[in-house]
Amino acid sequence: MQHPHFKRSRKAAMLFMVPAATLLLSGCGSEKTVEAQVFNTPDECAAFYNPPAECQAAFADAQALHPQVAPRYANKQECEVDFGVGRCETAPEQGQQQAQGSFFMPMMMGFLAGQMLNRGGMAAPQQQNTAAAAGGRNPVPNQPLYKSRDDQSTFRTATNTPVASQPGSTQIRPSAVQPKPASLARRGGFGAQAQQRAAAAPRQTTMGG
Amino acid sequence: MKKVPIAPRPGWQAFAESVGFAFHTIDNEPYWDESAYYEFSLAQIEDDLETPTEELHQMALDLVPEILQSEEKLQQLGIPEAFWDAVRYSWQNGEPHLYGRMDFAYDGKGPAKLLELNYDTPTSLYETGFFQWVWLEDQQMRGALPSGADQFNSLQDKLEQAFAQLPLPQPFYFSSVTDSQEDKGTVDYLMDIALQAGIDSRYIALEQLGDIEGQLVDLDGFPIEGLFKLYPWEFMIQEEFSSTLISSNTRFVEPLWKILLSNKGILPLLWQKHQGHPNLLPAFFDDGKQPLSAGWVRKPLFSREGANVELLTHSGERIFQPGPYDDGAYIRQAFAPLPRFGDSYTLIGSWVVGDLAAGIGVREDNSLITKDSSRFLPHIILG
Repeated sequence: MQHPHFKRSRKAAMLFMVPAATLLLSGCGSEKTVEAQVFNTPDECAAFYNPPAECQAAFADAQALHPQVAPRYANKQECEVDFGVGRCETAPEQGQQQAQGSFFMPMMMGFLAGQMLNRGGMAAPQQQNTAAAAGGRNPVPNQPLYKSRDDQSTFRTATNTPVASQPGSTQIRPSAVQPKPASLARRGGFGAQAQQRAAAAPRQTTMGG
Repeated sequence: MKKVPIAPRPGWQAFAESVGFAFHTIDNEPYWDESAYYEFSLAQIEDDLETPTEELHQMALDLVPEILQSEEKLQQLGIPEAFWDAVRYSWQNGEPHLYGRMDFAYDGKGPAKLLELNYDTPTSLYETGFFQWVWLEDQQMRGALPSGADQFNSLQDKLEQAFAQLPLPQPFYFSSVTDSQEDKGTVDYLMDIALQAGIDSRYIALEQLGDIEGQLVDLDGFPIEGLFKLYPWEFMIQEEFSSTLISSNTRFVEPLWKILLSNKGILPLLWQKHQGHPNLLPAFFDDGKQPLSAGWVRKPLFSREGANVELLTHSGERIFQPGPYDDGAYIRQAFAPLPRFGDSYTLIGSWVVGDLAAGIGVREDNSLITKDSSRFLPHIILG
């Protein structure tokens, strides 16, 4: 044992020294599914004995998310190859991309309602939304759904995860349906000096000193 | 202070590689060198290195508000005017700093002389905080060093405390350039310590940092609210995403105000304010146009690993290290020769974590200018 007034660390241990992110990000294999609902329109949602106002709210959430998460294509033809002729629209411009011209995205073909409460008359109300009822955030966000050209019966998320083949209730793993921004981030804006200076001084091994 | 030969631990290279120290040898040249160590007395460590380190650190911090109030000083330090407000904001907002390293010329007698501050992207962290610590423990277990030997090296303890206490947004990202194995090793070590302190730590290559409408984002497009970057501020503010640094809601470590202290221009400013201080060398701003006189060293405001440093010894011998940092202004500093041990010239790197001295690393070079080809040797405290 070290004397307490020693001038070195009590320990110098490395826990991982492997890519730490992979350890943190690896999901657990036993995620529970939760119940969510899938509809073509808010009217259809209301017809399934859901409160019409909540149907409208979930639909509005999905519509707002649609331009943020829908997959983007540089031209209409590529989009229609994946989603079908006449099923693509111009994507709204975002930030810095004006210079690159317009982009295209599939039309929204339905929506996923993860946060429907107080569903009158519907089956299986006990287990669903217990997290939300307990004050937590429902793990399945309301979001737009799409249908691919060669499989018009299946509702898919913006990241191409199939969630249902008919309107109504469905079981979903929340981690599979987390919306991700589809914005085309500009990248490569840092590091140019490193490359220039490395070319001038090939032995240099560090950007530190 | 003396240099003592010792037998290297058999098989240390394989061990090094197993714990992420892949850069122990660089381009077939040794970087980690355990064929000898440096031995210091406790008084040398405490009186000549630890105490001056904390005093000089405080003197440097005290200069920051004075620089921020002076357009002349900001210009002398080569800070682009477009970033003055952002630098001021980062200081006035109290953005915390993690670490830094000051380099000393010190021969065991008399005051250590401050050569420069590496206060933005200091490296040799892993070698200092981890590998030389393990070396000492190993050599004591093997009976090659006395059990009473110590080391001035509380780097890992202090970094772990800092990560536990700093107000860092989470997830917190760590970044370095893709092509540098050494920098990735340093960042992996810092991430490991941050994880041990309970920080949700993630890596992103510097070149992969994204920009969406002025916000730095990760590979999934999510905002990066906290970023450690092992990449110099003076580069970042010149590059394509420089305006993102101002607009992005991101807490940077080191904070932007560190660009004032990692700058060689801090040396003449320290000298102006504390002329004659025993740990300071006379230093002045320099336009690089006049020939250097004997006994002086010229350094670019921003350079690393000894690049573009020109040195004239007291007898007039000229040593110049070419490099890629010939595009800015310079400072001129009185020449304080590095002490010579055998064939090598020895430099002390003294670490600061938060505001506390946290240990030293010893580097040797074959020349009076310490370069990227230098070797790292472990040290002990005895007596």
